[in-house]
Amino acid sequence: MTQYAFHFDATRCTGCKTCEFSCKDYKDLGLGVAYRKVYECAGGETLRDADGCFKTTCFSYPVSISCNHCDNPACTEVCPTGAMHKDEDTGLVSVDEGKCIGCGYCHMACPYNSPKVDREKGHSVKCDGCAERIAAGESPVCVEACPARALAFGTVEDMEKLGERANIAPLPEASLTTPNLFVKACADAQPSDSRAGKIVNPLEVL
Amino acid sequence: MSLGFSMALDEITLVLFTTLAPTGAMACVIMAAVLVFAPLGESERTRVNRALCIPLIVAMVGLIASATHLGSPANALYVLLGVGRSPLSNEVFCAGLFLASCGLYWLFCFTEKQYVRVQKAWCAAVALAGLVCIGAIAMAYDASTIVTWHTWHVPLNVWFSAFAGGPLLAMLGLRAARAVCLHTKASGILVAGSLIALVANVACLVMQNASLGGMWNGYGTALDLVPMYPAMIAWYAVAGLTAIGCAAWPLRGRDLPSVARLTLCCALFFAGLFVVRFGFYMMHMTYGLGV
Repeated sequence: MTQYAFHFDATRCTGCKTCEFSCKDYKDLGLGVAYRKVYECAGGETLRDADGCFKTTCFSYPVSISCNHCDNPACTEVCPTGAMHKDEDTGLVSVDEGKCIGCGYCHMACPYNSPKVDREKGHSVKCDGCAERIAAGESPVCVEACPARALAFGTVEDMEKLGERANIAPLPEASLTTPNLFVKACADAQPSDSRAGKIVNPLEVL
Repeated sequence: MSLGFSMALDEITLVLFTTLAPTGAMACVIMAAVLVFAPLGESERTRVNRALCIPLIVAMVGLIASATHLGSPANALYVLLGVGRSPLSNEVFCAGLFLASCGLYWLFCFTEKQYVRVQKAWCAAVALAGLVCIGAIAMAYDASTIVTWHTWHVPLNVWFSAFAGGPLLAMLGLRAARAVCLHTKASGILVAGSLIALVANVACLVMQNASLGGMWNGYGTALDLVPMYPAMIAWYAVAGLTAIGCAAWPLRGRDLPSVARLTLCCALFFAGLFVVRFGFYMMHMTYGLGV
């Protein structure tokens, strides 16, 4: 089996959200559904000291996240029908629409906020890694669209050479589901267990 | 609208399910136990058998409510593929088994000849299926990635609320059946059991609330999702105590509560429980990025 993985270079990402919108365009997603989302993590404060000098600990950085096609996906673990499944050849996690009952348990359990029940379609929807593009030898559309080349996609062996397994805030500890996402952290990035930053664009990502 | 409120509103049918089904199942268990162990006369047994439909309907309304939130109910049979693996499959399977066994038993009791031994054996199976069903509901949302639900409080809340409401609903069923076995002493035991379970559940909910401040993800703490949880718990305690108090009041004068009084008591109890169940769905939060 070839396990595919994403790489996210936080030193390059500008938070422009082209990845998110190229995906929405390619997958023809409606309002309220996005398979890739850009989380803005910010924190810190600016203070004036006794000498009148301003000092700041402020930071802000974007994190572009889709499904990470985890080694131990929480969504497949809880799915009552087996509709949410991991492909044996590529390791990509996707939904079998003919089996899904649209109960939303995958959405509730995923720590990356990836699957979501599309009420119009009546089943869960999520990033499938652009499986048909991969089969045709292309990259996922979000990777191809990124103007800063902050996203990459390939075999897990190639991606793990580019960064560490998803370990920056606001992502959860990688040990939870072993995500196939490897990150090159930027200077502002906080570790996963840090409470210094918060997601400041919840209305965009939820 | 707050994030937590929006989440709970989306899952309102599950709020209704977890309010009604465990209590309905526990009331069925109690009535089934009465049918197995109490020395019932022929007509009394028939009346109790027929009145079993009261808690059964309550549990069924809960299950039907939960089914309405499915996007594609036509695929529901695939749920059986996950039995033993997925906690949700286990819940659906056990609930289906309980409702089928109890519903078929109720129909079976309309035979002209009463097969008491078969009925007793069947009732024992119904009681067992009811307890297993409550256990499966209690564990249904125990996913290790959901920080606020993967705690010991959650299954205990389901069990205690079933033990608190079940006796009240069973009393209603037995009173509607004019069951002689429901004398003041038996009523006293049921009311006392209900009160103990209510107090234990309120204590469990208070401890759960105290733990929420230490649970957090990228959006903030779990306490931010359900800031009015203490008020919700207080409402549940007041509604539950009032319901149990009203059911117990006539026992002071060696009278039994009327069917109308018990109906109001059950409605009040469910109103209290509904609010804390709503709070439970409000506090949904995964590690990382999900609320």
